[in-house]
Amino acid sequence: MFDSRKLILLCGLVVMTGPLSFTAQAQSGYVDLEAEAAAREAARAATGEGVPADPYGVQPTPSYPVTSYGVNPAPIATAGTQSPGASGNYPASGNASAPVSAAAGPASGSNLGSLVLQIQQLQQEVMRLNGKVEEQAHELRTLQEQSLQRYRDLDKRLSSGAGASAASGSGSAAPVAAPIPVANAGAANRGSGGSAQPGEKSAYDGAYGLVVGRQFDRAIPAFQQFLRDFPDGKYAPNAHYWLGELYLVLDPPDLESSRQAFALLISQYPDHSKVPDAFFKLGKVQFMKGNREKAREYLDLVIEQYGSSNPTVVKLAQDFIAENY
Amino acid sequence: MNRTHAVFASLLLLVCSLAARAELVIEITQGVDNPTPIAVVPFTWSGAGTAPEDLAGVIDGDLARSGQFDPVGRADMLGRPSKPDEVFYRDWRAIGSDYLLIGRARALPEVVGHIQVEYELFDVNRQMMVYSGMVKGPASEARMIAHRVADAVYEKLTGIPGAFATRMLYVSVTRVPGGKDYFRLTLADSDGARPIVLLESREPVLAPTWSPDGKHIAYVSFETTRPAIYRQELATGKREQLTNFRGLNGAPAWSPDGNTMAMVLSKDGSPDIYLMDLATRRLTRVTTHYAIDTEPTWMPDGRSLLFTSDRGGKPQIYRYDMRSRDVQRLTFEGSYNARARVAQNGRDVVLVHQKDSDFNIAVLDLETGRMLPLTTTELDESPSIAPNGSMVLYATKHAGRGILAAVAVNGSVKFRLPAREGDVREPAWSPYMP
Repeated sequence: MFDSRKLILLCGLVVMTGPLSFTAQAQSGYVDLEAEAAAREAARAATGEGVPADPYGVQPTPSYPVTSYGVNPAPIATAGTQSPGASGNYPASGNASAPVSAAAGPASGSNLGSLVLQIQQLQQEVMRLNGKVEEQAHELRTLQEQSLQRYRDLDKRLSSGAGASAASGSGSAAPVAAPIPVANAGAANRGSGGSAQPGEKSAYDGAYGLVVGRQFDRAIPAFQQFLRDFPDGKYAPNAHYWLGELYLVLDPPDLESSRQAFALLISQYPDHSKVPDAFFKLGKVQFMKGNREKAREYLDLVIEQYGSSNPTVVKLAQDFIAENY
Repeated sequence: MNRTHAVFASLLLLVCSLAARAELVIEITQGVDNPTPIAVVPFTWSGAGTAPEDLAGVIDGDLARSGQFDPVGRADMLGRPSKPDEVFYRDWRAIGSDYLLIGRARALPEVVGHIQVEYELFDVNRQMMVYSGMVKGPASEARMIAHRVADAVYEKLTGIPGAFATRMLYVSVTRVPGGKDYFRLTLADSDGARPIVLLESREPVLAPTWSPDGKHIAYVSFETTRPAIYRQELATGKREQLTNFRGLNGAPAWSPDGNTMAMVLSKDGSPDIYLMDLATRRLTRVTTHYAIDTEPTWMPDGRSLLFTSDRGGKPQIYRYDMRSRDVQRLTFEGSYNARARVAQNGRDVVLVHQKDSDFNIAVLDLETGRMLPLTTTELDESPSIAPNGSMVLYATKHAGRGILAAVAVNGSVKFRLPAREGDVREPAWSPYMP
């Protein structure tokens, strides 16, 4: 099985090189084909045999001409004047020990041989390290891009919020109202009676101010404290949503906490206006966790359920699918 | 009516005889969830004798093979219209067909041995003709004419140009018990029909590839007892040996402009990538590394080459920029990525990707860097991508034998092309044919 794998695996190269297959290569180093061929030549002369080890282990047969045909019916070219029966150069597989001795062929001293061996070991070590460097450089680049992307997402959210609030012109509630429509939230909120509790608004504004000021690491405990103080508050669902967002901005992101925050919002305030966004975010979080299928379920759910009511989030979900699936 | 029956019977006979002639048969293993039903009514024939080919049957097969269509069986058809004024939409709505294709073939009186095919495509639900076309050509190329009709229909209905009127190369190996194997380099239509053996040898034949104009092929043959790269003109069969260097001569790959061939030579030590100017035969060395650099393939713009190298300890895909001479690693997922081929869009790269112990075909998106595995069998290799970028042809093992199989680049459709005998490997999908 392994042999046939090698045989076909690397199309041109492997069949021609036999032991030079990539899988075998790491152990075997390099094979000097010429030396190998010469060795076989010698072996053949010694035994008087026509053909050395056939790759498929069958006996050699007399020569057969190679014929080539055009697309037109008449065969045109005839190649292979040489007897292909002498398949000497088709390398026998499995002689992985050849490289060192072959490469060191003319050198009689064992010192030179060990030197060659050392060079090969060094080459392999350098290759291994080279691979590590390539991979780590790639990982760094990916991480940089990811954190930049997370920052951009949040930035976009904040700036779009600022723009909308300016437009709405509703004085004091401005920073809060825009990104998360509080008026809506209140109406849809579970049993919060539609108005903020005393002190709630200022507490929420304080936490939100930290978000606006990009002090994300301080905003998280502020929202947590807010939820402790006003578990049934009018802005509680908004706080859950922000926590979900903020856990994603951490470096590294706290995916599980983020997932819990969004899931909590959805289960406790199923009619809240941020629920569609929370579903979308859950999809994203699952994707970041590597659960592609689970993520896709959430994204599909967003598209199916909010196709008519919330085109913005549906568009986000569709774009995300287009980009990643 | 009797006459129609006779024509139909003879058509059927023809199909059977053709099917018997094809070396590969097709088994669709996975299609899209809701393939579009389409009725392809047998085309009428006017001219001496019988029609040169069951054109509708070929079109039917093409559309079914794409996995995106579900052709209606002929027995279910309530009518056999061949002209637009014979179409009754209710007949086709009744059997649930969304689209209807009708057509007529006739011998061209002014050119001996040539035929002309006219066809119309109808949207049954909207009750209107959505496309009509005409194709001419020699009667001996009737199957190709049918493939061209299928290409047009496919493009009209999916927005993607079809790639049915294309061909493929593959190598089949016939084991001879107690003797030497037969290697055959075969040229066939994209559906496996009309196989023609281009080269037959008792020594290995490998790495067949196409020139960008589809008029030449190149391959590696061991017929002189050592590997050498040959170029062969399809129309004449004229062959020439391009290389005869010490060591490896392998993995030829034509540049998009057709003037240069990338190849792997080991004449200066370890295998490295070289470029050969095909007019002057002058060689330029591209890579110089003690690691193995192999399997070069061109980006469609011709400005860079992708190749496989184990310079990082394990085989991965790298890109060589022609101008800056920079080498950049492209694959990071998995411990083994090799044998890349690039789609015409310059974005999708199909390759052999090792996941756990299996070797699968995967597609790498060069823009996002994401890798999507396409196959789940164990030993998949030699991916070759259709000129429209929609399907990947590859070699795999099925029931202990080497067969060809195909998978859509988005993973939605799969089919197998098992050979009637021997092992089949190293498929190479042609570019669009002139």
